[in-house]
Amino acid sequence: MGSASAASTALLYAGADPGSQAQPMRPDKSKWSPDPFKGTSVNLRFIDWIWHVRGSLELAPGQSSQEALERLDPLFHETGTSHERADDTLTFRKKDQPAQDKMSVFDSGVLRIEKRAAGSVLRYHLVSRTLLFCFLLPFAFLAIAQLTIAIGKMENPPAAKAADAAHKAAAKAPVPLNPIDKFLGAPAPEKPKKGEAEKMGKRGKKASPTSAYVFASMFAILYLIGRILEDRLVKRLLRKKLQAP
Amino acid sequence: MDGIRVGNRVVGTQSPVTIGWENIPKVEGGPVKRFVFTWFQPTMLFALLAFWYYAPNSIATTSVAIGIGIGFRVLLLGLEWVNPRYESWRLTWKELVVDLFYVGFSYTLLRIVDSYIGSDVIIENVQHHFHWDKFAWFTGLPLLVQAFLISFIFDFGQYWMHRGMHNWYPLWLPHSVHHYITQLNINKGAVGNPVELFLIGLGIGGLFDFVPRAFLLAGTFGLTIGTYQHINVRFNSPKWWRFLFNTTEHHSLHHSQDYESTRSNYSGSYIFIDRMFGTCIDGEAELLGMEGGRRMSVREQMTYPFTEGWKTLKERFGRAPVALPAE
Repeated sequence: MGSASAASTALLYAGADPGSQAQPMRPDKSKWSPDPFKGTSVNLRFIDWIWHVRGSLELAPGQSSQEALERLDPLFHETGTSHERADDTLTFRKKDQPAQDKMSVFDSGVLRIEKRAAGSVLRYHLVSRTLLFCFLLPFAFLAIAQLTIAIGKMENPPAAKAADAAHKAAAKAPVPLNPIDKFLGAPAPEKPKKGEAEKMGKRGKKASPTSAYVFASMFAILYLIGRILEDRLVKRLLRKKLQAP
Repeated sequence: MDGIRVGNRVVGTQSPVTIGWENIPKVEGGPVKRFVFTWFQPTMLFALLAFWYYAPNSIATTSVAIGIGIGFRVLLLGLEWVNPRYESWRLTWKELVVDLFYVGFSYTLLRIVDSYIGSDVIIENVQHHFHWDKFAWFTGLPLLVQAFLISFIFDFGQYWMHRGMHNWYPLWLPHSVHHYITQLNINKGAVGNPVELFLIGLGIGGLFDFVPRAFLLAGTFGLTIGTYQHINVRFNSPKWWRFLFNTTEHHSLHHSQDYESTRSNYSGSYIFIDRMFGTCIDGEAELLGMEGGRRMSVREQMTYPFTEGWKTLKERFGRAPVALPAE
């Protein structure tokens, strides 16, 4: 994919300026798209770990910045990815990246080589909208559960109507089994019990928030897994690329 | 690309596809692995049919069916891990989250909507208005015949709805979103614009009366046949299975990046419906999606039919720009 927006991408990161190595690697908030607090005074530092992944890797002794970035470069030659290299920094941005992209969970990021007395270090700062999405999903499904309860309360049929429906269903005689099924030994249908009768049928079914609660917990667990897993996977991927023969 | 002639059409001119069962790779590995991935599908179908046929009434309930459905899908996710059809379709954390978001959406919000404007509600109202009774004589048929009829009537309707979606622009708009997926996994069937998910769930099954156990058996047909449409597992499905039922091979061709291939294999469970109407192609594809494999974000999946529809309306009915005379 071409790098049409590469030049503007570089401007999205304060850390992209080759002369600003002393600055912390923080994005320019005014142009940072997944920032829900854009223009507010909220300090994102305390909460942005939810969807920002930061880390560092030591380079092999003698490995130059150029060589290290050269090795990482192929990772950003994917469909939907634009990237820009400037001295010791590589910035990238992804749009509509396919599932086959090894870094598809991330939408943008900065990778920079820092020179230290003990040796060079690759520091990276990656942003994932999917992590934020997954973090918010439990809340969305809790809201759906509340909506289901509210609708259930609103829709609750008057007692007399419900009793009538239950009575009608209970009065319905059970259908006799076909002789073939009888011969093969299938259990005969039972007459619906009074309590169960009102549960039957799509319309009569009482709305239950249980599935929404199940999905809320599922996404909470998935978020925890993803936050740890994707952090480790990207570290492993970058290490593998840097150490590849 | 030259493409391959299949009947009246030429497929694979835009993206590689494999046509013909003899050209499709087989399961690799030892005899146990080959045995398992050859007989897994028929065994599960007949085992679950037997279970629901003979289960006592206290066990033959919807909640047990939901439990079995979830357990079966978890098992299939395990099979995807052990024996993937393509490495490039391997399930990632991101894909799992997005897939499950749509599964959750269908289980919760869409169900609420369905309970107000779904096909069963419409049919119930029509029957009430015209004082029609349900076609009750169906309940006298053998259980397995009832079960097959429930699933066949639904699949037949789905075939025409799906074919309509590929041939009529207003229906294509909501369905197109589902064709932007770039790999198949078992929950990918749930991924799509909510309008499409609602439309594809419409059916005329509510017109007929069936015994509750027949619905559980019909659900088994869907679970143990239809679920394989979107699975990343290499099976050596028996010949009779591939002739009667839709497989992931058929459906991967339907999702191919090759336009002509996408206009085939419309049915959900019963590929013989496609054979009846001349739209079946036996084959498979690895490269899936639209626009060269552009994967839509969830936000775009939600809005695309509306934004794209609006663009088209403006192009067709909007005021043409007035040409100003040169000074």
